[in-house]
Amino acid sequence: MPVQLTEAEINERAINLPAFPRVVNDILETLEDDNATLGALVQFVERDPVITARIVSIANSASMGSRHGSQLRDVNMAVSRIGLARVKEIVLTVSMAEFAHKSQVASSFWEHSVAVAVSAQELARFTHVSSDYALVAGLLHDIGKLWMARFYPLEFQMVRSTVDCSERGILDVERQYFGMDHCEISGILANRWGLPAPVVSAVRHHHDPSPVLSEKLVDLTHVAEVFCNALDLTGSEGNQVPSFCEAACIAIGFDWNQDINSLFGKIQARTEHACAVFR
Amino acid sequence: MVMESRLRYLPISEVKEGMVLGVPLVLSEHGVSNFSLPAGHALTETNIRQMAVRHAEFVCVQVLDERSEAERLAEYAAAEARLKHVFRGSNLEDPAISRLYEAVLAFRRT
Repeated sequence: MPVQLTEAEINERAINLPAFPRVVNDILETLEDDNATLGALVQFVERDPVITARIVSIANSASMGSRHGSQLRDVNMAVSRIGLARVKEIVLTVSMAEFAHKSQVASSFWEHSVAVAVSAQELARFTHVSSDYALVAGLLHDIGKLWMARFYPLEFQMVRSTVDCSERGILDVERQYFGMDHCEISGILANRWGLPAPVVSAVRHHHDPSPVLSEKLVDLTHVAEVFCNALDLTGSEGNQVPSFCEAACIAIGFDWNQDINSLFGKIQARTEHACAVFR
Repeated sequence: MVMESRLRYLPISEVKEGMVLGVPLVLSEHGVSNFSLPAGHALTETNIRQMAVRHAEFVCVQVLDERSEAERLAEYAAAEARLKHVFRGSNLEDPAISRLYEAVLAFRRT
């Protein structure tokens, strides 16, 4: 039986999702704050012992073979050893991995999110567009699907089955079963969690960036997801390339005459690496 | 018969001693290069550790293409069939979709 979702219902039920990691917002604020210190970052991270433990573990793996030879024991040492920018990336990804884990979603959901995040970062480098929020926008772009799967598992499964065995686009099928698509739900949730406006817009419009082409993060996230699906990075049976907005490619200055094989190779190898590290 | 080589992008966990870099490797931090190796360099255990310490996530290596012509054609055909499945809902007459399809197909044939 199709349901007719409303924004009020999405917000009401979102209370029953696992708590959205506060550290994500804290770190996003530091991206815009030139006075943010290492100490502040460490304080944010240390509020959550699970995230702290994972960061120290990943930092230890990354520095394996260091001539220092010593094991990192805390976030302070991790920051000083592996650098602020890298620690921020690890914290964001680990936080989202924990959130996805607590939300009990399928591993393919998380792997796809990681792939789009990596792809958005590589595209930003390739086109010299700011990559500040690319990682978070990629990790969160399909958060609306997580909400659907959690609260309406039967309808969510019916959407997947229909998409898997037909040529219909996913948004069309979602609107049939939910009266709303996952992009709209992603936007409502990102807004509820107080994420920066560019991130809210990117998750809201990642399937159709045409109304907001001047927003580079939206264009990046759209092209990143299309490339991930075209490269079949998760290999799921239902994978298909959604609509592709060429204007988004033009808006970020994507040049098809550059070395595309190298871009695709980096996206594929980095995704494999990230999925293994953050599993 | 001279065996052809091809470039492969591998996650750092799959890189082994003796593999040959396919393109120059440059690692940097804060925009400053802090480690580099030339294309054609055969990686040592020490190199691999040095890359891990500097957070390298992937490496482009040159590998010999040991596939027979028949194996290669079979792989191309399988890759193209899968690509057609992934693009099943797309209009391949659309220039943007067509360009992307061809780019991914070319990548799969490297």
